[in-house]
Amino acid sequence: MSATTASALGLEDVEHEVTRRPSVRSRALRSPTFMAGATLTTTIVALVLLAPLIGRYSPVSQDLLHTLAGPSGAHWLGTDELGRDIWSRLLYAGRTDLQVGVLAVLFPFSFGVFIGTVCGYFGGGIDTVIMRIVDIVLAFPFYVLIIALVFVVGVGTHGIYIAFGLTDWVIYARTTRSATMVARSLDWVAAAEGGGLSRTRVLWRHILPNTITQAIVYAMSDIVLVILAVVTLGYLGLGIQPPAPDWGSMISDGQNFIQTNQWLAAIPGMAVVLTGVGLSLLGDGLADILRPE
Amino acid sequence: MTPLLEVEGLVVEMRRHRAVFRAVDGVSFALERGGALAIVGESGCGKSITLRAIMGLLPNRGRLRSGRVIVDGTTLPADARGRGRGHHQRRRMSIVFQDALSALNPVATVGNQIAEAPRYVLGLGRRAARARAIELLGLVGIPDPDRRYHAYPHELSGGTRQRVMIAIALSSDPAILLCDEPTTALDVTIQTQILALLAELRSERGLSLVFVTHDLGVVSQVAEAVAVMYTGRFVETGPTAEVLAAPRHPYTRGLLAAALDVDSPEHEPVAIPGSLPDPLRLAGGCSFQPRCEFATGQCLTTDVRLQLVGPGHAAACLHSDVLAACQAAGHHG
Amino acid sequence: MAEPLIEVDGLTVTFPSEHGHILRAVDDVTLQIAEGEVLGLVGESGCGKTTIAKCLAGRVVPSAGHVRFDGRELSVRRTTEDRRAIQIVFQDPYSSLNPRLSVRHVLGELLRVHRLVPQDEIEARLRELMGLVGLPKGALDGLPSQFSGGQRQRIAIARALTVEPRVILADEPVSALDVSVQATILRLFEDLRSRLGLTVVFISHNLAVVRHLSDRVAVMYLGRIVEQGDREAVFSDPRHPYTRALLAAAPRLHQVELVRSVVKGEPPSPINVPAGCSFHPRCPRAEDKCTRDRPALEPVGGCPAHLTACHFRDETSAEQAP
Repeated sequence: MSATTASALGLEDVEHEVTRRPSVRSRALRSPTFMAGATLTTTIVALVLLAPLIGRYSPVSQDLLHTLAGPSGAHWLGTDELGRDIWSRLLYAGRTDLQVGVLAVLFPFSFGVFIGTVCGYFGGGIDTVIMRIVDIVLAFPFYVLIIALVFVVGVGTHGIYIAFGLTDWVIYARTTRSATMVARSLDWVAAAEGGGLSRTRVLWRHILPNTITQAIVYAMSDIVLVILAVVTLGYLGLGIQPPAPDWGSMISDGQNFIQTNQWLAAIPGMAVVLTGVGLSLLGDGLADILRPE
Repeated sequence: MTPLLEVEGLVVEMRRHRAVFRAVDGVSFALERGGALAIVGESGCGKSITLRAIMGLLPNRGRLRSGRVIVDGTTLPADARGRGRGHHQRRRMSIVFQDALSALNPVATVGNQIAEAPRYVLGLGRRAARARAIELLGLVGIPDPDRRYHAYPHELSGGTRQRVMIAIALSSDPAILLCDEPTTALDVTIQTQILALLAELRSERGLSLVFVTHDLGVVSQVAEAVAVMYTGRFVETGPTAEVLAAPRHPYTRGLLAAALDVDSPEHEPVAIPGSLPDPLRLAGGCSFQPRCEFATGQCLTTDVRLQLVGPGHAAACLHSDVLAACQAAGHHG
Repeated sequence: MAEPLIEVDGLTVTFPSEHGHILRAVDDVTLQIAEGEVLGLVGESGCGKTTIAKCLAGRVVPSAGHVRFDGRELSVRRTTEDRRAIQIVFQDPYSSLNPRLSVRHVLGELLRVHRLVPQDEIEARLRELMGLVGLPKGALDGLPSQFSGGQRQRIAIARALTVEPRVILADEPVSALDVSVQATILRLFEDLRSRLGLTVVFISHNLAVVRHLSDRVAVMYLGRIVEQGDREAVFSDPRHPYTRALLAAAPRLHQVELVRSVVKGEPPSPINVPAGCSFHPRCPRAEDKCTRDRPALEPVGGCPAHLTACHFRDETSAEQAP
């Protein structure tokens, strides 16, 4: 039947007219931003994951006979003021910081996207109430909140998780809400609803894949922000407590030696910068790839 | 008598992803003083890019490869982007776009937008420019021009906005008006009003017109000469009545067979087989060949150019005589 | 007519506008559509034709009036069967398909959710649907970005057909397509209509297309029906000045001379509908009574199926020609 219909409508060669879509992989390979970001980030993640293997010393073991040593065969990046191997500390610190970075973003991302979708799709009273809550949260100075929380729950990563959980979801809510409001007015949503699909289904399987991309891209830079917050807190002595390593506290400790042994602070600083750049590029690259043609 | 506007061998390359293709591939035409040319084609044929190349308004992805634009005997300069046609051009040519709402500045009053060219291009003082703007508003048929001067584009209806666009185009006192589908987005009753306005401007002010459209039905009302465009080239040119009544290129014939006319309800529209070729994958020879019922082996290899098939009537087809015979014998698609 | 499939009775849709004004998108529209017929709904922008389609599809709640389908009143909350029975094909092929979902996903999901065919027959049915609209089975795995405008419209039509509707509301389905592609989609509509016995409400501002495809025609202006009847009756013997104006303004391939504009000015805003006959400010035939008395939609003398809302309904075009 299809053959006769096709020829009756003069469409024998419709097949060839369907342009081949470049696969996601080839699009990914074509985006220099994505490739740079992915390479950098993957390298950093790989290094920190392999810390037990390639870090040659325990990050906390001290060697008071060889403090503040420069780079050598024994210690690739030298030692700090307590004789601890900087390279190992760097890797283990990265583990902690990246882990906190990703975990702290997980809840805000999920919750924010959910709230944003609900607000954008249903509108009305829920939308108004929640958007006012968003406004209030946005007005809150983040670091004040964190420091207050630290006094309540104690130092360490708990404060960070709670603080981010309470404040970070609003940005995801906002972007997802706008994207959902735009999508809701498009014909294909009307078609999906008109086809008799349940609202949940339309939201979850039809709208969400389109609206979530902005949130994903933002999440990349959000991880960077979390890492910076961890680093800042560590620098203030409020974050991850010694002797567990953390880039922030390494920078803070290195401050004391800034005139004589600059690398003590500079090396972890560079690590933060590189991670930040890698994640940013990855986010930009993802934006390029995920954008529908 | 030198033609007012001459376009010679216009070639525009466009970039898409990493590849480059010719959006306009050797377009030439001449426009007499007070004359009108309609350029007809489907989406992607290059008709809008042609106008933009003439005006020097190519988008970033476009590059003017070769070609000359000559106004009143003087060649207009242009850089590789087709830009920099110079001060001179601003006095002779203006362009009217399709979507007035996006072509107008939403935060400036229409009056100020019309007054802009007289003020900054023609060098009139503020009061004189304002008076000219009000005059132009009246000229394009907008009632109550003194009050309308202060309106913002979103406050106006589609037809009025289009008239404002035309007023802006006229404000620099051009001799040539380039129109890029100016009535496509308008209701049909408003369209007739705008077309009547353009005809009036032609007869009363001697304005010359290049009118781009995809609607064959509009062509007869607008211009006495038509050029049919396909994949960046003119495939048929000639007097409108003749081209529409007795086309000499299979594509023109196909378009006419596919078109519906409100006066001929019994006409079964016949689709042109196949579809528009991907401009990146154009092989040699005639670009219409894959879809053409008259094609022969020769069409694959010969690069067909426009040839005269009648007085003032040219077609880029090796078999235009076969077509004419077919037509005469009464065979329609 | 025999029991009509769709009955629209006194349908009115109003929206609140700024400064306390009311926007009358649809104003007291009464229509019947028989099963298997193609009704052409014609009018320019703002006339309310799209709003009527949305009411029929259940996307807009009427402010007054009823919509009955198959004898039953269609309430705001529709059953799934009712929702399936009336499907829309939209105008813009570039926004009517979800850019992230493949054709197979969209159509297959509908088949599964509505349990229209057993699980093992889904693939066969998908191919059948592609064949119905003239697309190769390879198209099933494609994403919208791979298809042209005409192909996307075919996919949109296939999607509408998947749920086995009884009515298709086609809202300007070919307006965004090139001429040569329009022809194929129109033939597809004709083909489907004759093969599947579909009822079609064909909304368009393009008179040539409507004349080609419709059995009956209704002309709308500012939310009201100004003329309706069998296609040939309305086209060859229009009895409303607006219909005549539309016909006169329609672009023609072999125009001898420039069309003289038959109507003055622009349509007023639907917030400010003129009193009496809403067309009177632009009407070449208007008289004093047109500014006061709103003409009812009534039969033209001797022809009960041809209705028009004009005080001078018994004057033919020849008599009214200036």
